[in-house]
Amino acid sequence: MVSEIWTEKYRPSKFDQVVGQDDTVKKVEALTGSLNIPHLLFAGPAGTGKSTLALIVVKELFEKNWRENYLELNASDERGINIIREKVKNFARTKSIGNVPFKIIFLDEADALTPEAQQALRRTMENYSSTCRFILSCNYSSKIIDPIQSRCAIFRFKLLEKKDIAKVIQKISEGEKLTINPDALELIYEGSEGDCRRCINILQSTASISPIINFDLVSTVISNAKPKDIRVVMDYAISGDFQKAREKLLDTMLRDGVSGQDVIKAIQKELWSLPIEPEVKVKLTEKTGEAEFRIVEGSDPFIQLQSLLASFVLAGLGL
Amino acid sequence: MPEEKPEKAVNWTEKYRPEYFVEVEGQQQAIFLLKDFLKKFAIGNKAVIIYGPPGTGKTSLAFAAANENHAELFELNASDLRNREKLIEILKPATEQRSLTKEKKIILVDEVDGISETDKGGLLELIALVESSSYPMIITANDIWDRKFTALRKKADLIQLKEIDYKTIKNVLISILRKEKKFLEGDIVTNIAIKARGDLRAAINDIQTASGMKDPSAIIFDERNKELDIFSALRMIFKGKPNENMLQLLDSVNMPIDEIILWIEENIPAEYQGEELARAINILSKVDIFKKRIYRQQYWRFLVYENALLSYGISSAKKNIKTGFTSYKKPTRILKIWLNNQKYDKKKSIARKYGEYVHIGEKRAYKEFPEVQAFLMKPEIQKELRLSEEEIAYLHNVIRSE
Repeated sequence: MVSEIWTEKYRPSKFDQVVGQDDTVKKVEALTGSLNIPHLLFAGPAGTGKSTLALIVVKELFEKNWRENYLELNASDERGINIIREKVKNFARTKSIGNVPFKIIFLDEADALTPEAQQALRRTMENYSSTCRFILSCNYSSKIIDPIQSRCAIFRFKLLEKKDIAKVIQKISEGEKLTINPDALELIYEGSEGDCRRCINILQSTASISPIINFDLVSTVISNAKPKDIRVVMDYAISGDFQKAREKLLDTMLRDGVSGQDVIKAIQKELWSLPIEPEVKVKLTEKTGEAEFRIVEGSDPFIQLQSLLASFVLAGLGL
Repeated sequence: MPEEKPEKAVNWTEKYRPEYFVEVEGQQQAIFLLKDFLKKFAIGNKAVIIYGPPGTGKTSLAFAAANENHAELFELNASDLRNREKLIEILKPATEQRSLTKEKKIILVDEVDGISETDKGGLLELIALVESSSYPMIITANDIWDRKFTALRKKADLIQLKEIDYKTIKNVLISILRKEKKFLEGDIVTNIAIKARGDLRAAINDIQTASGMKDPSAIIFDERNKELDIFSALRMIFKGKPNENMLQLLDSVNMPIDEIILWIEENIPAEYQGEELARAINILSKVDIFKKRIYRQQYWRFLVYENALLSYGISSAKKNIKTGFTSYKKPTRILKIWLNNQKYDKKKSIARKYGEYVHIGEKRAYKEFPEVQAFLMKPEIQKELRLSEEEIAYLHNVIRSE
């Protein structure tokens, strides 16, 4: 069955369909052909093809039996390393089907695991190395502990360039009979920040309104998809209403499921359009950076964000 | 109140309970206010609420007031206050009838903290009695700022008793020892006085115990773990001057430190504004960082810093001590998270199905929601993802509300 969700419908299923990661694709293809693949570590930003490439590897290796020989896990969703180990254990217990001597486990967002959990994962990888190969994906390979890195072949994925994105969108618009204005294409690319998934999602959301994709339509879709009320939170804070600001912030975070870091990112971008003096903007940018640092260091992002809001309150008072 | 006990077992706290105002130690201000209340009884409020920490002399003041005025003291305590019927049966006649033995009468309603909020009848009846009483009523409580007492507070004068300072306690202890012809070494007495933290009754109990022990110094190590309710702790931190005693303050609050952090967080803006607010939250942010370091490295000594910053640190964020009453709130964040989990339950389950289908994690799918919501409305996609009717209804509601 062909999916109606375009990220699936147009997901490349062959190596030569993957855009923008030529080197990586070539090397992985060669390894896959040799049937003797090591553990793999795919590092790179979201929406650059890590999961896609893993799926292609699996489909190439196992052909029609790929579902039986493939386990997909997400480290940021599974509650703790023990659950992951349990699932791996169950999956690895049976032998692979077909003539490939191993199964494949794809662990997405592996950098969400704490260093301690990664140590446990390393052990698991060793224990099942005769029957399983791991493909780990992460945004930053520096967040993966050295012992795991040294057991994996590392492949880096780069952000997609505009011409790559254009290629993807071109293909979809042919398939879906869309008309896309050049400035709309530009905007989709900018709004997606090189994330191919987002591009396609924005495109499909826009197309669900009209098959003629113009600038205004895309811009509406993108602004709807942005974390909304962060600006409102900042306005409350600047006007001195700390209580309202933090209340709104909590509601927004819970409703949209955005993390502390997402909020910081939005604040950092939005800050420049606040009606405050340039030097205050600089001061607040520094405070924002400090808050982001503390979010990484601390345990409760919401407390750190409140501290930042208090700085905004002071800035609003001219202090 | 004290039951009859054999002579030997007489409790010093009862034996030396002051009979007159001059004997009540360390509460001059309160005595002045209480006298004033009794003087103006005919024209002013019918009741006075004396409140403060345990062992500071609330009941003693009531006893002394009765003696000073040659009045009969009619006494009721928590257990008599349970319900309306009992109040009407016992207290009502007392507020109306004249004393048989003496000309005057004072009614003492002791320890109203015990009245539960659910027994509204009892509390309401008490308020009605306060209004109609022909005699002065003295009501005592540890914490009168509980919401259930709002109506009662409006009908009465308020007198706050402070914790008694340790020097006063020490003097009382020495004089009791002298009368009892017992001897304790000076530094043991001093220690007991300090440890009591303003609770004279506790201190007197301690010297009575210590003077009966072979090695009285042993009592020093046996510190009474005085439990502090979170409201008092917040009050001390937010209102008071930072002092070294604060470093142990949070240990005596019967609550895990993570929860105390939430209480502080919730209530900081109720006390601090502007720069004070920023300073306080900045300190709280450092508390949080130490908390993470403890978890990450399992290095529990960091708890010292977490503790000190959370008490002394937060307290030091202000320039001057705060006066007046602040109504502290329970932390609402956990409840909100829970409510939101209920509210967005369907959104989560949709994200789970969608995420699994397009090979991304649930969290990321949830975040992607605003981006994909428009096409998730398509029936063929809903069918493809096998969304339930409830989930589809959720999507329609969201679109409508926006």
